[in-house]
Amino acid sequence: MASTPPASVEARLDIPEGTCALTYEPLDVQAIINSVTDDAAGATAVFIGTTRNSFKGKVVTRLDYQAYSKLAIKTMADIIQNAHSAYTRSEHTTALTGPPPQSLIRSTVHHRLGTVPVGEPSIVIAVSSPHRKEAFMACERILEEVKLNAQIWKREFYEGEREEDAEWKANVGH
Amino acid sequence: MSVLRKASITVLYFAAASTATGLTVEEVELPSHNSDAGALEPSLKLSELAGLLAGRHPKTSLASILEQSSWAVDAEMVEDPVTVTLRGGEEVAVICPVSGG
Repeated sequence: MASTPPASVEARLDIPEGTCALTYEPLDVQAIINSVTDDAAGATAVFIGTTRNSFKGKVVTRLDYQAYSKLAIKTMADIIQNAHSAYTRSEHTTALTGPPPQSLIRSTVHHRLGTVPVGEPSIVIAVSSPHRKEAFMACERILEEVKLNAQIWKREFYEGEREEDAEWKANVGH
Repeated sequence: MSVLRKASITVLYFAAASTATGLTVEEVELPSHNSDAGALEPSLKLSELAGLLAGRHPKTSLASILEQSSWAVDAEMVEDPVTVTLRGGEEVAVICPVSGG
């Protein structure tokens, strides 16, 4: 069985809009949430993706993740930047002049690599915003774009099946 | 007198491509072609790399995996493989259908 790719390393990229990280450590959800807090934020939207114990009737024993980290981390940063660009005006604004207010304050995406046992988080996304509408929308958008584009792969192991037969999943059907 | 310059690329395999080949990294020497100057120059169109790699791993599912995969060259995704010619030294990653998040 092939080993963990040498390119599947821990990585972190900080941009003005926030932070992206790939780590083999368990995700510290509260710390990740705290990283986007800001006095200007009225809302923080959080998504936690956890390893589920079943898939189509089969019992999942664990998930393994690997990434082409140097590219995945750039993709994740682009996704955050695109989300911030997309939401530059809030419906709640009362300013009549000046630049459109930033509707997102800070976003972060942390994805775990390696083995993620059932029930543990594999991805945590947190977005802070003055207002809840943009926070929710950006959080969902970031999640969907990570699933579509980030160079990260998941392998699902089922109870009673040989490890060598464990399939690499694909988010988009082919 | 023709000068033979050898060059290779580093191919990175992940996920299904890695399981199929049993490899995570493979150095692949590029074929040489006659350049206009009469020298033998190594080069390969990215669109031809799938065939070359499948040929190196004939008894595996790599060929069908590559059909569903994209390429990244030096950590940038490639939209259309016909637009890229490899000259040697590049890091080329097989990006099979992703499943993050």
